[in-house]
Amino acid sequence: MLVERIAGGDAEALGDLYDRYGRVAFGMLYRMLPGPEAAEEVAQDAFHAVWRRASSYRPERGAVRTWLLAICRNAAIDWRRTRGKRSEREVSIDTAADLIADGRVDERVVDALREERVRKAVSELPAEQRDVLSLAFWGGYSQTEIAARTNTPLGTVKSRVRLGMTKLRERLVDER
Amino acid sequence: MSIDRTRHPLEDLPAYALGALEEAERAFVEAHLETCDECARELAQFEQALYEAAAVGAARADPPRDLRARIVLRHRGTRARRESDWGGARARAWLARPVPLALPLALAVFLVVSFVAVGTARREADAYARALAGVADGRVVALAAQKDAPPDARGALVIPRSGDPYVVLELSSPPTGKAWEAWVIKGQHPTAAGVSGSGGLFTIVLSAPVGAGDVVAVTLEPAAGSRAPTSDPILAGGT
Repeated sequence: MLVERIAGGDAEALGDLYDRYGRVAFGMLYRMLPGPEAAEEVAQDAFHAVWRRASSYRPERGAVRTWLLAICRNAAIDWRRTRGKRSEREVSIDTAADLIADGRVDERVVDALREERVRKAVSELPAEQRDVLSLAFWGGYSQTEIAARTNTPLGTVKSRVRLGMTKLRERLVDER
Repeated sequence: MSIDRTRHPLEDLPAYALGALEEAERAFVEAHLETCDECARELAQFEQALYEAAAVGAARADPPRDLRARIVLRHRGTRARRESDWGGARARAWLARPVPLALPLALAVFLVVSFVAVGTARREADAYARALAGVADGRVVALAAQKDAPPDARGALVIPRSGDPYVVLELSSPPTGKAWEAWVIKGQHPTAAGVSGSGGLFTIVLSAPVGAGDVVAVTLEPAAGSRAPTSDPILAGGT
């Protein structure tokens, strides 16, 4: 409904979308980018992308929040590759290594019970699976790059990605 | 090389959700997803789980207070473009002779110039947007550039929740002896609402009240202002 209004040219609906998910989107961008200015710039780009693509949103293929956050993440990776300074194009292995960094969570973006469930699901992943998911998601590294940077066989990285993601899905998605 | 879209790339869907596939792999999965609802549903579940975790992993950071206003403002004019009749008919009614406004096109150009440009133009657009960003608790109405508007002319009517309405304008400096003058038009009766002899980014606080259905326009007038418009509007918009 909200995305339909955006697709219909209702700029206030875009504001409503921001009210619901703007904070978490900004928090995600803030973590992925070198500073608040970049996060702000990319947030504007991402919401503009939402505006342009709203008519192609298909609810059966994912929730609005997931769709928005995916757009934000792609915009952040694009920013790092095209607009970031050389030193900003890559996130260090250490920085990206925690899928959920302790003490940095914005408690206002998720309710406590849900957060606890997510934290538990992530913490129960084997460390090597958690690490590859974090490097791929926050660092924007491909499986091939992760293999090279961690001196791990590509097949092993792929296996860890599959296993880690499958476990996350089993634990966090109810509609199985 | 053609892509075999019939093979279900189930093993690659987790990495696709993560954005961790190489380009060729990603292209294959993407092509397959266009036609396979089953894989699309699988992918949706991986993405749901992933972004659930990402939301918890997002940094504690407050977005700038005016970010929402800037995002909405950037697109508010586009809505006006789709509602092509709102200001043009009234503005034409006020003028002594009809002006071939071609409002949707003019406004489309206005919006492109204002908000979609990149590089230097983008920074300028941001400066313009920042000038309007503090009005989150008011209304902002884009003023459409008219036929005789200078290149890059743009403006917006701001109706704050409290205080006087004003227009934010970005215009070149008027010729010597001339000024930009704002008008509030009720029906077909324009009322002079303020003069500015400056150029660049500036505001005119409107001395005439603005009500629902009124039109606000900007014309080029003698430096001292006019009792009635003597030229066609270069910017106009309806409330």
